[in-house]
Amino acid sequence: MNESLTVERYQKALPNLGRLGSWTDASALVHQAPRPEAAGDQIKVIKTACRACIANCGVLATVKNGRVVSLRGNPEDPMSKGRMCAKGLSGIQALYHPNRNKYPMKRVGPRGSGQWKRISWEEALDTIARKLMETKETYGAEAVFCSTGGGGNPEIWSIARFCNIFGTPNWFEPGCAQCYLPRVLAYTMMYGGVDPSIADSNALELYFPDETPIKALVLWGTDPSYSCPASGGGMVVDLRAKGVKTVVIDPRFTPDAAKADVWLPVRPGSDVALLLAWIRYILEHKLYDEDFVMKWTNLPYLVDVETKMLLRAKTSDDPNQPDTFMVWDKKTNAPQPLEYPWNDALDPALVGAFQVDGRTCKTGFQLLWERCEPYNLEKAGELCWLDPARIEAAIRIYAENTPSGLALGVATDQTPNSVQAAMAAATLDLLMGNVERPGALLQRFRTSGCFDMPNYPVPIAADRLPPEQLKKRLGYQDHKGLGIWYAGHPSSILNAILTGKPYQPRVWIDRSGNKLGATADSQLWEKAIHKLDFIVHVYMYPTSFSAYADILLPSEEWLETDMLVETCNTLMARQQVTHLWETMDETLFWSKLAKKCGELGHEACKKAFDPAYMGHDLAYWDSMEEFLDHWVGRLGMTWKEFAAKAPIEYLPRDQWRSYGVYLQPDPKNGGKPAGFPTPSKKCEVYLESMITLGRTGKPFSPIELEPAAVDYDPLPYFLEPAESPLPGSEVAAEYPLVLTGGRVPFYHHNTLRNIPWLREMYPAPELWIHPQAAQTYGIAQGDWVWVESRRGKTQAVAKLTQGINPGTVYMERFWNPETLNTATHGWREMNVNMLTKASAPFNDVVGTYTLRAFQVKVTRADAPPDGVWLDPEDFKPWLPIPAEPTREVQV
Amino acid sequence: MRQFTFVVDVDRCIGCKGCQVACKLENDIALGEGRNKVCTIGPNGTYPDLELYFLPTMCQQCENPACVQACPTGACYKREADGVILVDQEKCVGCGSCRRACPYDMIRPNRELRMADKCTLCTQLRAAGDTPACVRNCAGGALHYGDLGDPHSEVSRLLAETDPQAVHTLQDFGNRPTVRYILRRDHWVDVLPQHCVEHSAHRRGGRKA
Repeated sequence: MNESLTVERYQKALPNLGRLGSWTDASALVHQAPRPEAAGDQIKVIKTACRACIANCGVLATVKNGRVVSLRGNPEDPMSKGRMCAKGLSGIQALYHPNRNKYPMKRVGPRGSGQWKRISWEEALDTIARKLMETKETYGAEAVFCSTGGGGNPEIWSIARFCNIFGTPNWFEPGCAQCYLPRVLAYTMMYGGVDPSIADSNALELYFPDETPIKALVLWGTDPSYSCPASGGGMVVDLRAKGVKTVVIDPRFTPDAAKADVWLPVRPGSDVALLLAWIRYILEHKLYDEDFVMKWTNLPYLVDVETKMLLRAKTSDDPNQPDTFMVWDKKTNAPQPLEYPWNDALDPALVGAFQVDGRTCKTGFQLLWERCEPYNLEKAGELCWLDPARIEAAIRIYAENTPSGLALGVATDQTPNSVQAAMAAATLDLLMGNVERPGALLQRFRTSGCFDMPNYPVPIAADRLPPEQLKKRLGYQDHKGLGIWYAGHPSSILNAILTGKPYQPRVWIDRSGNKLGATADSQLWEKAIHKLDFIVHVYMYPTSFSAYADILLPSEEWLETDMLVETCNTLMARQQVTHLWETMDETLFWSKLAKKCGELGHEACKKAFDPAYMGHDLAYWDSMEEFLDHWVGRLGMTWKEFAAKAPIEYLPRDQWRSYGVYLQPDPKNGGKPAGFPTPSKKCEVYLESMITLGRTGKPFSPIELEPAAVDYDPLPYFLEPAESPLPGSEVAAEYPLVLTGGRVPFYHHNTLRNIPWLREMYPAPELWIHPQAAQTYGIAQGDWVWVESRRGKTQAVAKLTQGINPGTVYMERFWNPETLNTATHGWREMNVNMLTKASAPFNDVVGTYTLRAFQVKVTRADAPPDGVWLDPEDFKPWLPIPAEPTREVQV
Repeated sequence: MRQFTFVVDVDRCIGCKGCQVACKLENDIALGEGRNKVCTIGPNGTYPDLELYFLPTMCQQCENPACVQACPTGACYKREADGVILVDQEKCVGCGSCRRACPYDMIRPNRELRMADKCTLCTQLRAAGDTPACVRNCAGGALHYGDLGDPHSEVSRLLAETDPQAVHTLQDFGNRPTVRYILRRDHWVDVLPQHCVEHSAHRRGGRKA
């Protein structure tokens, strides 16, 4: 080594500086220069929980002199175990984003002009409340509607609560019937416990891999590596490492598909045909758990084939006692009542058709068999674009390695066959007896008891909505399954705005990311927006939707919010790590708005602040601390005391995991087994209550409603997509490829497209296309392409991959915050929802529209859309600008 | 001799790229740059019979490092105490020699400081008894680090219990990389990180993120 070669001499000696050019471009591409720690620095580490998606991973946030400088996973979180993903680790870039909504703003130019004026919270709330009151008095409260969704929200129930108290039946989210509700509904109605969605932080049995005896896991339309890498993603890795077999059903060759024992690249939209084939195979080969099916499902019960209702020997007036149902007893060769829970003297037939009092009756099992009988392996192979031998191998893994479990993801929620997919998936685990036993995903583990509502503590106050208002809920009449979340139907709201029928919605308060990025057929929503009198947008930063708003309100990023989080047997505190500008927690915002409406004379809003009147619905709160004190009060603590100790284990693991709840003696029912929380206390594979739901709205509606146009089917059925690629399809002649969607690990829904670290990794939506299809349409790797459906066209970047069927393409959701102030407002360039379908057919039960499984064509584009950012340096204007903490706004 | 390095259980990597952001957050890395990169290897084969795995890449902490040999100022050196290759900021002149010499393109420019930048296995964290940011945040538990010179270290034990057939390194050009990759179920593909393009939407040169 030449010791005398100094820096100066070396630089002088350089013959040319060409190569150095790129090294010495000293443009600031880091968010802050590293600062050495100085004496007197105030450094705090705060235990909080992420909310960059819905997984709530535990986080240790380091705050130095009032600024958040570092994030890391908290190993005390039993699900994420100290890990964080790209989304969560970008939290500081989101928090200190230069384009945060900082203050309430009111529009001063025409809609879309981007001209705004800062106003006070007082003025904003007053303006909104006056508009709401004026609208209510002139047109009725139902002319106001609210929405949420799109990611980044601390909870969703505040919106429904406000609507119920204000008196409008119309709130919606673009998720809901398109995301999660179909699964919640089916599993709730069929066995009464938690659904097996990994991305929704369920399947908790699996998070202690050394302790669970599960032997085979089916990931159906879900990829935890993409959707929740730090929690579910890591968990599936642990299971595979200990030898758990996995089957992945996904059109895409995802990370979990790549590591599966069998991958079934199902044709998008054909999942129910495949599920029925699985059921058929399991029935045909008697692979089900016969003892469980006989004793703990309603499949031996007799069904009147004409009325489709179960035969009852006796109805019960006692809510603790189920009705007594009829079976066909093989010993006496006669119909016999089966007293709950079981009668050893009887030998009920599982299969068969019988005459009872001159009426033809069949067992539920028989009807299930008849429903799936047409779907043999060959038929499923044909419909689903799969090799029958591989379908069989997959079923065998699932059925011969018990306990096993089927985790159903969001994919099937995004087509009009949604509820039936969830019913069929639940049927499989119930047939296999994969319920409430060690290793099963379907469980009723104990909870902390701190919440009355699922997942989020805000009480929805459903009974506060007057019955005559409930009847005006748009789309509810036909899609009564929405009642489980008390929600309206997006397309019915859209049509009401566009047509004025059955009445004209006029005022929209939205608290979500970008409705133009998240709702199907965005261009129709833009038309609807122009018909509205008044729009309020509440979010952390402006999105395409903000361009059309009249008032913009700044909500808090997750590092600014407080919330109680339950994760397995642990309670965590999401804690305010800092507070910036005049942002407000949305859980507080709706309370402030209700208060203002009360001051302007809204009686129900006024009464909503009276604890005696609100009772278990909880009076509205003036601060987050007051709100949270109530819930952690159940632990005998204040929020401050809890937050100082959290995370806490509220129960030891072995007590929290309460297996076999249905077998526990029920003192209210003479010590008989408790059974399942369904009308029959059995697992209702033949879902009679689906018929009742369609005819009356029960059990979710507090009042009896008029029947839906068609009866809901008690068994799952396959519905071929309205736009089908199968031979004979008219639409496929022009639009030959079937499109599917799905996650990448860098974004949650429509969030985070403004984060430099994430956009530099994934700057534009990819369109996955098989090389053979790409060749047919003249597309090369990395080409910009147009993707076009009957509804619209948009752009993406072609990724040629063997990991997709030649007839299928995949496109990621997107919008472009960098073009917000252009004519497109950032939602037209690369938005898959320009293509999706908001029109009928809808799912009968919940009204799901078509986000996946419709037809598109793909052509080469000459260039990327104007103005979009693609190179890492492009995102420099979005690098964070740290700000000093501020006090909460008092209003 | 002590040799701290990474042992990567490739079967456990799910390609989430959290390690890239963890590194950027910990080490204040500029846009367009990075000390590590998860490469997607595949899918290889013909639909639907495919293989795909994710390969986290970073400085390979070579035994015979080309970067150290190429450095004209002695800034780039292999530290005796732990075998980790570091760049002395007092001595680095930003000439780029080390970068050109690295067979894996794992030395990157720090344009702000006009110097070479590379993975240090988070020296600052290890000095405080902590683990490198990428290891700590790895969602799949794929990344391990430790001293290969210590037969009792976690990484040495992990390698000892693994079928030697399943243990791989990036291509050795005589520089003798020390990072070990464990790949049990798929076929190893000999690629260099700089040839892996993770997203094709960038238009104007720069590094493929």
